[in-house]
Amino acid sequence: MKRSLLTEILIILIISAVLGFAVNSVSPKGIPLFENYSDRFAIDSSKAKTKSAFKERGKLNKDGFYQPVNIPVEAAKELFDANVIFIDGREPAEFSEGHIKGAVNIDYKMFKDKTKEEKLEILKNFPKEDIYVSYCSSDSCEISIDNAYEMAKIGYNDVKIFLNGYKEWVKLGYPTEK
Amino acid sequence: MNFLSNKYFLILLRLIVGGFFLYASIDKVTNQEAFARAIYNYKFMPDFVINIMAIVIPFIELVTGIFLILGIFLRGSSFIITSLLIVFIIALSQAYARGLDIACGCFSLETVTEKSDILQRIAEDILLLASSIIIFIKSKIIREKQQ
Repeated sequence: MKRSLLTEILIILIISAVLGFAVNSVSPKGIPLFENYSDRFAIDSSKAKTKSAFKERGKLNKDGFYQPVNIPVEAAKELFDANVIFIDGREPAEFSEGHIKGAVNIDYKMFKDKTKEEKLEILKNFPKEDIYVSYCSSDSCEISIDNAYEMAKIGYNDVKIFLNGYKEWVKLGYPTEK
Repeated sequence: MNFLSNKYFLILLRLIVGGFFLYASIDKVTNQEAFARAIYNYKFMPDFVINIMAIVIPFIELVTGIFLILGIFLRGSSFIITSLLIVFIIALSQAYARGLDIACGCFSLETVTEKSDILQRIAEDILLLASSIIIFIKSKIIREKQQ
């Protein structure tokens, strides 16, 4: 039997696609075929400059939690000045090398695999009604987003994401500590 | 380059490249969500293909890895692996050039990659690419001889 290269490639791709979609449909970590990623990074900075960051709260979404909102550095600073708690999602080693002054370290890698009860236990000293600002090193680390969603999903209704994170904070010379 | 035509050398290359791909796929086949995020972080692909890639690519790696080890569809498998490696090298290089702090999603999805690791991955991928090209050419020649 003579098989062309193209036939071999097609057979391999079909086997992989069938297996992939089958496993994805039963996997607990399965994902939808299409997803809009643009929301994750949208920062409405024009709005944040003209109105207080406190008022910028996320909407209740269809999954039943309040959507964390992205905020630019000006809004983060405004919240910082109002003693809002900052949540640093980086690993403890990075956190101890320097972080936003007064920030609390919730290591996302450790946090994400906990059960809801364990997460609530970790956050027991932090009232759900308060505002929190989640950040990590910069917009390319994304832990800020993921940590904010983890918190929102267990009932924290007003979590902001300071997407540009520690790098921008340091660049602007805002207060940090080790 | 006599050793290149040694059939045991070809088998060794197949085991190495196939083994790498098989190993690389293991963490990803059951963790579509994390792999989709890893792909997204490269900021290299349009949104609508990211999840499809995250669902299918780990299985392409798995299937081609197994096929290469077992010696099934050698030309097709090595051709696909070669193409994937070229894409990986481009993706890693542009991430490196742009200075993105990314989890490369190469093997384990949990590790955040340092910049130096990205260079190491690129070097590894180039070696694998050379090997898979040799496998592709050799398997083509063997096939032609058989016909």
